[in-house]
Amino acid sequence: MTLAETLSFLPYGKYALYIWLSYGITFILILGLFMRASINYKKIRSQLKKKYAREND
Amino acid sequence: MWKWIQKLASPKVFYETTNKLIPWFFWPFIVLIIIGLYWGLVLAPADYQQGESFRIIYIHVPSAWMSMLVYFIMAVAGGIGLIWQIKMAEVVAKVSAPIGATFTLIALVTGAVWGKPMWGTWWVWDARLTSELILLFLYLAYISLNNAFDNPKTAAKASSILAIVGLVNLPIIHYSVKWWNTLHQGSMFNDMSNPSMHPDMLWPLFIMVFAFQFLYGVLALVNARDEVLVREQNSRWVRAVVTGEKL
Repeated sequence: MTLAETLSFLPYGKYALYIWLSYGITFILILGLFMRASINYKKIRSQLKKKYAREND
Repeated sequence: MWKWIQKLASPKVFYETTNKLIPWFFWPFIVLIIIGLYWGLVLAPADYQQGESFRIIYIHVPSAWMSMLVYFIMAVAGGIGLIWQIKMAEVVAKVSAPIGATFTLIALVTGAVWGKPMWGTWWVWDARLTSELILLFLYLAYISLNNAFDNPKTAAKASSILAIVGLVNLPIIHYSVKWWNTLHQGSMFNDMSNPSMHPDMLWPLFIMVFAFQFLYGVLALVNARDEVLVREQNSRWVRAVVTGEKL
């Protein structure tokens, strides 16, 4: 029994594996772009705050 | 128009503008992606030949279109930076590269996953697939070159030249299905007044294309805003933004 047949109970039957795999990978990659942006936002502000604090000392 | 471009070339105005524009791109993206996914995954009928598997089109085609559009924007912005020395154009080009590379990766991966049940294989060295893979390598080369220099000016110059040279790949991707005998299907939109798709399938596709355009917009704006802060960190206005001090 193939993986596609095993997962055929999901919506879209025998194509469920391919459809959910495509959408899942896309979701993870787009989420990754948002997470990268969010991490950069925090990192850059924290680095600049430290730099300005050092300059003030 | 020229006056507006000159105004936007100021890092401070650019930063303030990106900040204001972010919600105008984020919320339309959320609304369009919800409508597009519901219409594409639930309401649209199954294809008479490909069955349910055709639903991969709603992420494959928008990401493939965006992979080319973002590359075009990146090369044009790089060119503007090279010719008119507008730093903000360099910023737009730099932040577009990882987003475009991700769209290209999505197009390639979803294409491979769609290819397995339809063609019986994950990959073929077909003209369309190979030229799209070259696009991914161009994005990766651009990112590597941009990170290879400490001086942002030199980095922007070298990577922009690469991006402009790589533009030649875009018509190759687009016309590959016409110029060569490919396994990949031809364009569905040769005649826009008579598309080869039923409106019930076509409309969610257009909605998803717009959703991906807004997605690019929001990600580019967020990343550009942060890139401006890094580049202008010695300016008084950046210090005021970060520390909350008054100018």
